[in-house]
Formats: sequence, structure tokens, C-alpha cells
Amino acid sequence: MSLAVRSAFRQRLAASGPGWALASPAVVWLIVFSVLPIGLMVAMSFWKSTIYGTRPDFIFDNYRRIFANSLYVNQLLSTLRIAVSATIISLLVSYPIALMLSRLKGAFRPGFLLLLFIPFWSSYVVRTFVWLPILGRNGAINQFLLWLGVVDQPLDFLLYNEGAVLLGLVYVFTLFMTLPIYVTLDKLDPALLEAANDLGARPLQAFARVIVPLSLPGVMSGSIMVFLLAVGVYVTPQLLGGPSGLMFGNIIAAQFLSDNNWAFGSALAVVMMVVVLSVILSAGRLVGLQQAFSGGHG
Amino acid sequence: MANPPTKEMPAAIQLDTATPISVSVRNVYKTFDTTPALKDIALDIRRGEFFSLLGPSGCGKTTLLRSIGGFETPTSGTILIDGKDVGGIPPYGRPTNMIFQQLALFPHLDVYENVAFGLRVQKKPKEQIDGRVKGALALVRLEGYERRMPSQLSGGQRQRVAMARALVNEPSVLLLDEPLGSLDLQLRLQMHEELRRLQRTLGNTFVFVTHDQGEAMSMSDRIAVMNGGVIVQLGTPEDIYERPQSRFVAQFVGHTNLFDGKVIRIEGSRVTVESDGISLAATTPTPVELGQAVTVVVRYERLGLGAGDTTLRGNVAERMFLGGTVRVVMALSGGRLVTADIASTAATGLPAIGEPVALTFNASDSRVLVA
Ligand SMILES: Nc1ncnc2c1ncn2[C@@H]1O[C@H](COP(=O)(O)OP(=O)(O)OP(=O)(O)O)[C@@H](O)[C@H]1O
Ligand SMILES: [Mg+2]
Repeated sequence: MSLAVRSAFRQRLAASGPGWALASPAVVWLIVFSVLPIGLMVAMSFWKSTIYGTRPDFIFDNYRRIFANSLYVNQLLSTLRIAVSATIISLLVSYPIALMLSRLKGAFRPGFLLLLFIPFWSSYVVRTFVWLPILGRNGAINQFLLWLGVVDQPLDFLLYNEGAVLLGLVYVFTLFMTLPIYVTLDKLDPALLEAANDLGARPLQAFARVIVPLSLPGVMSGSIMVFLLAVGVYVTPQLLGGPSGLMFGNIIAAQFLSDNNWAFGSALAVVMMVVVLSVILSAGRLVGLQQAFSGGHG
Repeated sequence: MANPPTKEMPAAIQLDTATPISVSVRNVYKTFDTTPALKDIALDIRRGEFFSLLGPSGCGKTTLLRSIGGFETPTSGTILIDGKDVGGIPPYGRPTNMIFQQLALFPHLDVYENVAFGLRVQKKPKEQIDGRVKGALALVRLEGYERRMPSQLSGGQRQRVAMARALVNEPSVLLLDEPLGSLDLQLRLQMHEELRRLQRTLGNTFVFVTHDQGEAMSMSDRIAVMNGGVIVQLGTPEDIYERPQSRFVAQFVGHTNLFDGKVIRIEGSRVTVESDGISLAATTPTPVELGQAVTVVVRYERLGLGAGDTTLRGNVAERMFLGGTVRVVMALSGGRLVTADIASTAATGLPAIGEPVALTFNASDSRVLVA
């Protein structure tokens, strides 16, 4: 190494040095909580399951099994459809709530935020479970309808289908959509709305041309969050879905919890991870992921 | 609108009572909760006038401007724009555009789209939008910046975008809320000229809010001086400067020595006032009586070193070189301080600090304020 090159190298190192030092906890975190588990999962997906347990190996049987049967692919597609629907419904529910919250004045705001949070103090399973005594055959809705005389037989289609799963998912995850949207709306400078009004924009035009574009970062991060949470669930479909409302998560969970086929379970999980990542990346391409995360125009 | 920018100013328009009224504010009150922000505001602004609202912080300038723009609803009173009562009409229905104190450029839109915003929401045809946006950008000398984002502009350039964004809509009245507040002095002075040029070229009414009296003086056709939610004086810059009607205006506009005293002699409009044992010659705009308590106003720059109707003697307490002038603070024997701005060319014979000095002024350069 010539002297000049070496000093240039040293300069580069010095320039990047403090950055690395600062980033090192993040790097450690990433390795421990993300790279290692994923690496293990990917490795295990090539292992072999025997009646004696899962053995290290390098075989493609697990993947072959997934694509040999249209059942898994169809299940994955319907899971994506449910997760996307849950995301869209959450967005439609959350946006007006976030908008109203950001407009609330003074003491009402913390009170309302608290109301949103209270259900989240109980476990996800409990919050899913509450739908059973509401939607069930002897549940509150049926009791009420019978009492009203609107129906004379309890309705059976309220529970154990895809609709019930969607309802459960939206209820459980919608806060993850509401909060990021609320935060971006709250940051929005009210003078921008006044400026829009001043330039001739009616309230709806100001909404479409100023509020919506400036809240896109919140919408994007909320959507990614809800989609990721919803696509991987297995408790909600298990409790509310019935046979027709099963999701990919249930199939994966079954490999680990009952079938004891960790290798196949890992392969299913890897396939799902790849598919989910491509969905998010292509959705990001569509709206400009960079922009959504940075909130600016870099 | 797309006139090429010229260096020389178009001739000032003649404003007289025949000029139609552009904005008429009639007995407007505004109270926030319990704080009265505007009290019985009444003024008529003529078409094509550069009108300034001048006053200290919190005096209600912004509130009045926002009431004209439709962002505040007066508690009582009416506002007419181009002869039409605009009560209940939202900002998007008024022939006004506002330049906000913080500019409020849309951060997600580039310069071109910021300027085009008003035309787009009015659904103007594409070619017309393009022509007008280009014209407006030429007017504020920002050609070539169309695709920059607001975050990529300097303070002065952002200022111009805000101007173009408002002017492209050809508002009957342009409202400006201290838009130059964030600029450095050099840029401010440059923008003063620019604003004046724009206003004379376009001929629309400008209502300009500022707390900087120099800014108001140099740009305005007329000024309303506000204090505590009321208009304390309304007139041309010269009126306000030469004939302040209250202690507040005399002190707020320009640099002023005030002497409280009693009238001891009257000869027509010329009076002699005694203040702390000193006799001061002054002119009174209104009839006064012997023994009446009055205040004599003498601007810093009206005091000199030569001969004059009144001579004040004391010692130099402080002197500051201000460029074109030298500021001299003189302590009278009673301890009272009197300040004079002397032209640097005339200041060669000025005594040093601690030395005795005599400052003089003429009766025609000092004014009596009643009460
Ligand atoms: N939204 C509001 N709610 C309550 N009080 C207000 C509101 N807006 C203004 N005020 C009060 O009204 C008075 C006038 O305010 P305004 O903003 O018009 O002053 P200003 O002359 O523009 O001052 P500055 O030069 O500091 O901008 C102030 O006392 C202010 O506190
Ligand atoms: Mg203000």
C-alpha cells in the first residue's frame, strides 16, 4: 500500500469511525434478534424430520412438498388477501379517527387517546376471545335480535368464517394504524391548511391536496405494521375462523405445536417471509417507500 | 402579469378620495375568550394602495389581517371588500390572498406546483396555468427554479415563492403578515424594493403588517398605527412622522425626545413651554391655554450644534458613530438626558465625552402634544 493510499484509507476510516461506534448497539441488536433467528429458520428449512426429531441435513424435500400441493399456495394467497383486507379496513377505520383526534382541542385529546389504549391493556388473546360471546350462537347479537323479534332462529353465519376473522384482526390491530397516522396529522402545520384555504381550496380539496399527501408516511408505516401483524396471526383464525377461516399461520403453527415437523414448519415460514417481503417491497415501489419512511423528498 | 422586470419604478399612482375603496373595516371588535384583541377598528383602504398596519407585538395587527382574510370572525362589526360584505364568507371565497408570517409553503410540492396550487383548485385550463405560473415566477425572478422543493431554497427565494403563489391568483387584495421577519437586513431592504415594484406594477391593494416602523415608512402610501387593539393614528408616513398625535406614536415612530411641561407663553401657533426649569420653543397644531400641561416632541435629528430658537446646555454623556450620523447623548444639569443625531459632516467640532456642549433646535422642528 502506497503512503498516499494508506493515508486516504486512514482518513476514510476516521470519517466512518464515530458512526460505527454509535451504530454498534443497533448492529448487535439486529444480529441477536433478527439475523440469528432468521438464519436458524432458513437453515432448519433444509433439515430432515424423522420420528426421532429434526436432524441437520441439506435437502429440498420440505420446499418440494409445499409446491407439490396447491393447498399451501392457495392458503398463502387467501392469507395475503385477508391481511390486505384487514389493512385496508383498518386504514378506513383509522383515518377518520386519527383526523378527529388531531383536531381535538385541549383536555379531550388525552382522554380520547386513553380510550383508544384501554382495550390494549388486556392480552391479544382475550381481546380476540371477547368476540365469541358477542357473535356466537347464544351471543349478545343473537340474543338481541331474538329479543327484537327480527329473527326467530339464532344466526349462525356471524362466527367461524373469514368475516369474523377480519373483524377480529381489525379490532386487534387497528391501533397500529391509528397511531402513526395520528402522529403525522398532529405534526401537520395548521398554517398549511389555512394557506390552502386562502388559495381557494375548499375543505375537501385541501384534504385531498394537502392533508392526504402529507400524512402518507403515517399511512405507509401503519399499513406495513398492520399487514405484517395480520399476515402472521394464528390465534385469531383459530378462535374465530372455523374450518373455512384458517390462515397460513395456523398451518405453520401446527407443524411446531402438534405435527412436530419443525423442518417443514421452517420451510413454510421461509416461503411466507419471502412472499410477504416481496409484497411490501412492491407496494413500497408503488408509493415510494423511501419517501414514506423519511417523510421528505430526499 | 408577465411584464419583464424593469429596474426603474413605475410612477406612483395618485391616491385621492376619488379612488374606490378596496377594503372597508367598520367598527370591528374581536375578543378571544376574555382578551379583547380589536376594539372598534374602522378604516378604509383604497384600491391600489400600499397600506401598512404598524404596532408593537400583541397589538392586534395579525388579528385584523386575518379577519380581512377570513381566518378570524369578528365578534362584531363588518368588513367590506370591493364593496361587498364578506361576513360569513370563508377564505376560499374571498378575493384576497395572504402571505403568512411563516410562509407556509407546501413541503410536498415543488416551486412550480406551489405556485400553481390556487389555479389547480380553481380547475383552470392547463395552458393557462402554465402561462400564469411562468409569468408569476418571472415576476419574482425565480425562473429556472420550477422543480426545486421548498427545502432546497434560501430564505429569500422561499419568500419569493410565497409571493408568486399568492400573486398568481391575481387577488384584489394581498395580505402580508410580517413576511420579511425572518430575513437578514440586506435581504429585507432588497425585498422592500421588490415589494414596492410588484405592487406598483400590478396595482392591487397591499395590506402589510409590520412592527418595524422603518419598513412601514419606506414602503407605505398610508399607515395605521395600532396599540392595544385600537388604531391610534392613521395617515401618510410623513403625517405620522411629522405630526404624531400621541406620545405613543411619537415614541414608536422614529427616535424622539419628549419634554413634559406647562405652556408659559402663546404667540399664535408658536408657544413656549417650561419643563424642569428649561424654556422650550415649539409649534402647536391645536390651540392651547396658558398653564396647560403639554409634551414637547423633538426628533433626534432635529437637534443641531448651530444657532436655534432653543438652546439646551449640558455635558456629553455618550457619543456613538452611526455612519451617516453621530448620536450624541447630552446630560442636562438636572440629570435629564437629551439625544441628538448630528450629520457626520457637521460633527467635527463635537466635544469629547464629559465636555460641555450646547444642542439647539427651532420652534418649527418641535411639536406640542396635548395630553
Ligand atoms: N387564537 C387566539 N386565542 C387567544 N388569544 C389570541 C389569539 N390570537 C391572538 N390572541 C391575542 O390577541 C392579541 C393580539 O394578537 P395578534 O396576534 O393580533 O398580535 P400582533 O399585533 O400580530 O402581534 P405580533 O407582532 O407579536 O405578531 C394578543 O394579546 C394575543 O395574545
Ligand atoms: Mg402578528
